[in-house]
Amino acid sequence: MEAHVPVEINHVKAQRVVRITWDDGHVGEYALDYLRGFCPCAGCQGHSGDLKFVHVPDAELAGISPVGNYAIMFHWSDGHETGIYTYQYLRSLCPCDECKRQASEQR
Amino acid sequence: MPLITQENVLDALRKVQDPELHRDIVSLGMVKNLDVSNGKVRFTVELTTPACPLRETIDADCRRALAGIGVNDFEIAFGAQVRGSKSGAGQVDLLPTVKNVVLVAAGKGGVGKSTVASNLAVALKKHGATVGLLDADIYGPSVPILMGVRDNPEKIAVNGGYKLKPPIAHGLPVMSIGFFLEPDQAVIWRGPMLGKALQQLMADVAWGDLDYLIVDMPPGTGDVQITFSQQLKVTGAVLVATPQQVALADVVRAKSMFDKVMVPIVGIIENMSYFICDNCNKKHEIFSRGGAERAAENFKIPFLGEIPITPALREWGDKGVPILVQEPNSEVSKIFMDVAAKLAGRISIISESARKAQALKIVSS
Repeated sequence: MEAHVPVEINHVKAQRVVRITWDDGHVGEYALDYLRGFCPCAGCQGHSGDLKFVHVPDAELAGISPVGNYAIMFHWSDGHETGIYTYQYLRSLCPCDECKRQASEQR
Repeated sequence: MPLITQENVLDALRKVQDPELHRDIVSLGMVKNLDVSNGKVRFTVELTTPACPLRETIDADCRRALAGIGVNDFEIAFGAQVRGSKSGAGQVDLLPTVKNVVLVAAGKGGVGKSTVASNLAVALKKHGATVGLLDADIYGPSVPILMGVRDNPEKIAVNGGYKLKPPIAHGLPVMSIGFFLEPDQAVIWRGPMLGKALQQLMADVAWGDLDYLIVDMPPGTGDVQITFSQQLKVTGAVLVATPQQVALADVVRAKSMFDKVMVPIVGIIENMSYFICDNCNKKHEIFSRGGAERAAENFKIPFLGEIPITPALREWGDKGVPILVQEPNSEVSKIFMDVAAKLAGRISIISESARKAQALKIVSS
C-alpha cells in the first residue's frame, strides 16, 4: 500500500469532527466519538489483536500534536492521550463512502 | 553582442539543474549575490552541503549556460548553506538549532556503528559542515573512547534554566550517555527510565547551530529507536552492515522498523568489506564482500560505500583519535571522506522532499 501523509488536520469544533486532507487530495471527516472509540493505545485495544471500538460518549478534543514523522497524538479533554495514531492507521480508519467501499471489497 | 541583464543571466541559469534535487538552481534559490556590471557577471552558487559531490557538474553547467548567452567574463563562487528537513509546523522541536538529525543504526551489534559514526562526523566537519556527535548507545557507549573525551559536560545557565555544554573533541561537540555512568557500570534500565535519560540527552544539551547531528544508536530495534523516532524530526537513518548473509538479515529488520515510523533510509554502508594484507597487498574478503551492496539493490536503498578492515582504524580508535585526524591521507580516510560526501548529497535530497511532505498544518476552526 502506498504511504500517504496528511497535509492538513482541521478540528472543526462546531461539527465535532476532525477533517483530514491527505497529500493525494483525499479528504476524510472523522467524528470525534469515532476517533476516540478507535483509539489505538494498549489500554483501549488490549492485546487480542482484533480492532475494538470503545465507546466514550461526548468525547471532546483538547489538542492535536504530531509524533515524529509518522503519527498524530490526540489529547482528549478527559486527560486520555496515550493513543499514537499512525498516518497509515488514520488513513485506514477513513470513514468516507469511497474508503469504506474499498475496505469491504478487500475483506 | 546583446546587452546582458540580471534577467538574461537568471533565465540562462534556469537551465542549470541541481543533479540531485532535479530542479533548476534559480528556483531552488541557490543563486546568490548576482551582480552584472560592465558586461561582467558575478554570482555565488549556494550548495545544499559543503560536502557536495556534484560541485564540478554544477560549475560546468553554469559555464555552459553563460556561454550560451554570450557571457565570457564571469566569476562563479561557491558557498554552502545546509538546509534542514524540518518544517515550521509540528511538535515542540527539541533541537531547534540542529538542521539535520542523522541516525547511524544497525539491526545487530558489532558492525562498527560507533567507528563509522565518529569518522563520518569528522569527515563531514572536514568537508566544512558544522557537526555534532551524540552517542545514544546506552548499552555500550564507546564514543568517549573513540573520540578521546574525558571531560564531563559543563552545566551552563540558559534562559533561566540549565543546559549541558558538550565537551569538544577534535573540533566536534560530543555528548554521550557514557558521561553520566560510572565507567564499569552496566545500564540496567527499563523503558521509562531510558526514555527519561534520552529525553535529557535530546532536550538539555546546548549544541549550538549544527548542520548535522550524527547519532550513534544502540543496536537493534527497541526502545531507544522508538523514542528517537517519536521525539525528534529525524532526517534519516544510515544503516551499517557487515557483508555476510546472517548480518544482512538484520539490515532488513532495521529497514522495516524505520519504514514503520517513516524515517527515510539515507543509505547503507558496508563495514569490514575486505582486508588488504600489508605483506602481499592482496584484498582478503574475510566476511565475503558486496553483500550490503546487493541488499541495497534489493531494497532500492542507495549504497554509500565499502570500508575495509584496517588495523590503523582500530588502533587509533582505541587511542581516542579518529583516523581522519591522525592519518588524513590514508586510503581508509579517503573512503570516509567519499562516503560522507555521498551521505551529505543524499541528505540534501531527503531534506528537500521532507520539507514538502512535512508541511502538515494542524488547525482548529
